[in-house]
Amino acid sequence: MTTANLNPERATEAVEGRRTFISWITAGALVLSAGLMGIFNLIFLRPRVTYGPPSKFRVGKPDGYSSGAEVVFPAARVVVRRRGDEFAAISLVCTHLGCVVNPTDSGFDCPCHGSKYDSAGNVVAGPAPKRLSWYRIAQAPNGELEVDKRKEVDSGTYLEVKA
Amino acid sequence: MLEDKPTYERFPIRPGKTYGLMCVVPTATEATKIETEKQVHAWPAALTRELALFVLTLVILSVVALLFNAPLEEPASRLHPPNPAKAPWYFLGLQEMVAYSAFWGGIGIPGLLVLLALAAPYLERKPGGEGVWFHSSRSAANWVFLGIVGTLLVLTAIGTFFRGENWAFVVPW
Amino acid sequence: MSMDKVQIPWTDSDGKPGFWGALHSLPRRVYHSVFRSRPIPANDLERSQAVAANFFFHLHSAKVQERTLRFKTTLGLGLLSLYTFVILVVTGILLMFYYVPTPVEAYDRMLDLRGAVFFGTFLRNLHRWSAHAMVGLVFLHLMRVFLTGAHKAPREFNWMVGIVLFLLTLLLSFTGYLLPWDQLAFWAIVVGTSIASYAPVVGDELRYVLLGGDSVGAEALLRFYVLHVAVLPVVLTTLIGLHFWRIRKDGGLAKPREK
Repeated sequence: MTTANLNPERATEAVEGRRTFISWITAGALVLSAGLMGIFNLIFLRPRVTYGPPSKFRVGKPDGYSSGAEVVFPAARVVVRRRGDEFAAISLVCTHLGCVVNPTDSGFDCPCHGSKYDSAGNVVAGPAPKRLSWYRIAQAPNGELEVDKRKEVDSGTYLEVKA
Repeated sequence: MLEDKPTYERFPIRPGKTYGLMCVVPTATEATKIETEKQVHAWPAALTRELALFVLTLVILSVVALLFNAPLEEPASRLHPPNPAKAPWYFLGLQEMVAYSAFWGGIGIPGLLVLLALAAPYLERKPGGEGVWFHSSRSAANWVFLGIVGTLLVLTAIGTFFRGENWAFVVPW
Repeated sequence: MSMDKVQIPWTDSDGKPGFWGALHSLPRRVYHSVFRSRPIPANDLERSQAVAANFFFHLHSAKVQERTLRFKTTLGLGLLSLYTFVILVVTGILLMFYYVPTPVEAYDRMLDLRGAVFFGTFLRNLHRWSAHAMVGLVFLHLMRVFLTGAHKAPREFNWMVGIVLFLLTLLLSFTGYLLPWDQLAFWAIVVGTSIASYAPVVGDELRYVLLGGDSVGAEALLRFYVLHVAVLPVVLTTLIGLHFWRIRKDGGLAKPREK
């Protein structure tokens, strides 16, 4: 028994089987814990809170916009548009690679890879794969307009505000 | 091997040690009779060359660093994207491809190229041509390789020099 | 083969060191406690020892083929890549003493490096140009290896390590690109990380983890900084060690077959 303990070559078949079994269990446990460790570390790297600008923000009272006005909010990268009594918020982030598009007479142009959008945010030219996002705009209790960048709406969705 | 007798105390001198560097023989080994290649001592032949190359590298880069300042533009502002916004030069080939298709230019083709590069020695299995520049038996592989490199260089050059505002094609002169 | 009796220098003729004898031999003892070979080796055996017994030199074999030393064989590109990396590590560590990875501070620190820190401009320039040089040299080295057929068996694995080293070089350069927090840096990273989001399935998640949020901001700067100064250099250095070790284990540089 003692020799078998020290020298695997002298192990009996029964001992050998047991050894193999224990080796496999040990190896499995090690691989499993290493894998779990790796996955936990990956989850650790994914932030649960972000420190960036908030996704909901207020853009002032409807009176502040003249009819037909397009007001750019650079920090939020959103343009707020008024048509008659209707309001909409359109993203200024190019859907291609995240550059900020510039409003032009015909719509929006991306300075990075030459994508062009019409005034509704639909792709006219360039590599952009989809239209600019439209965000939900709502009226807060105090009458101010509030844009929520978490909530996308169909293009052409306007909020009607009774004067 | 009179020359190889140690002339000063080295340590550890351990008589019990059964292996070690005892002497250096310049001729074919007795056991194999295989003629050794022309060899030189790493000290000083290799080491002095390496030192010289390092000094040369440092001098050239220092001169460049003294003559040319590293670029520093305006502070970062998410409100004012530069037009055109360009990646570092070595990614401009990628950016040029990205301008055609974001997935294929940025992920698909580069990913395939990396996989192809990793697989190259397993694809090119026929032995021969090692250690020789442009060996004739490997011309097909070399042409494919140079073709890919050339394409990347052309794309990089286009992205670097021929792209202006809104990524429109411009002629630099 | 019997060794000649070597007189140990700090002994008198009886083999007993006197006080002055011991003092006289002290520098020698200290030297030999550190180095196991003479500063200038006198014969072939000592030349071999000088390489084999030195931690830094023992990457080399004691003797090298004359062919590998010829400039035409490698154009020195692998070594040049290593040297630019060494310069980058040294200058990079020095720059770290002044750099602060926050959007508020980073750009000001760049201006300080340029204006207020002695030697700052030079070190930043050297770091920047060496980084560009390294990307180019590593790629040229890759080309050299392929065009001389040095990637073929038995060196397949080392070739793959080399490809990974090239990608790591690009990543290092890319993560460093953001750190000055100027317009060039910011928008290059906005574009570059957006490319990552096009990766199938994991794309958006990858970009989110890389940036620590939805857009390039303080979190992204911190993450790129940690990657640039800690994670990637450690991985790169380790793989460089593996790369060099494999050169020897694979039989040195690829050599032409005998006719």
